[in-house]
Amino acid sequence: MERKVAVVGYAMTRQASDIGVPRPIMLFELVKGLFDQMGITRDDIDTFVLCSNDFQCGRTISNVFEDTPVGAYMKDETKVEADGVMAVMYGAIRIMSGLYDTALVVGNSLGGSEFRPYLIMDYQLHPAYDRQLGILNEPVTAALQAKAYMEKYKITEDHLNKIAARLLRNAAKNPFALRGKEDATPEYIASSEYLYEPLRELHCYPFTDGACAVVLASDKRAKALTDKPVWIKGFGDSIEGYFLGDRDLSWSRSAKVAADRAYRMAGISNPAKEIDVAEISIKFASQEPIICEALGLFPEGSGAEVADRGLAEIGGEMPVCPSGGGLGAYPFSAMGLIRVAECAKQINGEAGDIQVKDVKTAVAHGQDGFCAQHNAVMVLSSEEG
Amino acid sequence: MAFQMGEETRQVQATWDVTTYNYKVDGRGIKLLADGMKDKKILGIRCHNCGTVYVPGPPFCRKCYIPIDEIAEVKDSGEVVSFAVEMADVRGNPLDEVRVSGMIKLDGSDTFINGRIQVDDWHDVHIGMRVKAVWVPEPQGNLSDIDHFEPI
Ligand SMILES: [Zn+2]
Repeated sequence: MERKVAVVGYAMTRQASDIGVPRPIMLFELVKGLFDQMGITRDDIDTFVLCSNDFQCGRTISNVFEDTPVGAYMKDETKVEADGVMAVMYGAIRIMSGLYDTALVVGNSLGGSEFRPYLIMDYQLHPAYDRQLGILNEPVTAALQAKAYMEKYKITEDHLNKIAARLLRNAAKNPFALRGKEDATPEYIASSEYLYEPLRELHCYPFTDGACAVVLASDKRAKALTDKPVWIKGFGDSIEGYFLGDRDLSWSRSAKVAADRAYRMAGISNPAKEIDVAEISIKFASQEPIICEALGLFPEGSGAEVADRGLAEIGGEMPVCPSGGGLGAYPFSAMGLIRVAECAKQINGEAGDIQVKDVKTAVAHGQDGFCAQHNAVMVLSSEEG
Repeated sequence: MAFQMGEETRQVQATWDVTTYNYKVDGRGIKLLADGMKDKKILGIRCHNCGTVYVPGPPFCRKCYIPIDEIAEVKDSGEVVSFAVEMADVRGNPLDEVRVSGMIKLDGSDTFINGRIQVDDWHDVHIGMRVKAVWVPEPQGNLSDIDHFEPI
């Protein structure tokens, strides 16, 4: 028999260019604060799932430096070296196995202050091929992907500006986001410098420090831990091949496969209708329509129309990233966890100035790799059903 | 004629020098230890809940999972809990002179510190041996102010 799993607690740090404290202190304060707020101790957690990355920590086996700060001393612990949505999936699966009733999932990165993220990404490139050619790096691949979509579906740089402006306006209302601008306009975005045409500085993710923690529990334990469990209804994960020359960058096959799996598990047949809000992980404005369309939130190739008609606004037909998403902050590993936490906030009506009306069902998305090679999708709901 | 591919397996040399990191570290416990060394004192942190004395002191007790900040002075003498006799460096090159790396439980501490143990013949070193810190002539407030340990 399949066990149900709920999000029963969550907390995140403010996301910053420089959070100002070392990783262990950041994690201790975050997790200790969450336990205190929930009225639990580390003894209430059966298994700990850490989400971090050796490159992004600058030390191998990054989790060994994080276990004690998150309370995992002498406890059952494991690590996901990818995105936070994948870590939440892993935590949920551990509970569904019946071996555990509770899990703490914690992701973090100091990508704002400890290292230059684009340089780290270079070491994901193939050593004897890509690195020999010396052509690819993260923003170049993003620009290749942007052009492929824009050309195919006739969307312009002005549409990218509209997407970025919306996200920065949302981020301005989110007290946890790093970068926001209350009155951001497409013209404001267009005034930032080109980095890799068609991408300007304000189309790209800001380098971010931050962490997020989520407590999961089985249906057996969930109600004892919170009055408002948010149920994980479905999840799916999919990865493309590494070689970019083998991918049609104008859409995301793996995000679509991941979403189809999640929706099947959650019993969702019409995502555009049944989902009330989406929190997706994008590193560049141009990835938003690609991911949204793969998730079935908008029709294929509708990027221009969605941007022109404001359909993804907080009050729009399908609100996407009320938090400001990846243009507001992008702490690696914590990114997808924050998406899950933001979905839980929306479902629980705790999102303050970025609250969407009447949210019952939300979708969280996480990605990893060049041009979102690896995607994970999770459906969350207020209904246990 | 078919195109001749290269050998199936090739070795390509590429350096993994990722980038320069600006590590953020918790300086409190290490600074406390280093500062005290100027006066030949060894300072750690005691957990007010379980009494564990950590050297160097962490900002929280790993067992009790609470913030801790009570300063505890421990002795500069203690007991060898384990030791390794280094006869080669990490690349496998033999050392001219063997070195003894010890793990030492200082009196009053619940954790162990590492230090060189100097003896005429390494065969004389044993677990449980009592040792004492030998300080540099003019301590500067650095972790290197303890030059080595010697048998008592
Ligand atoms: Zn203690």
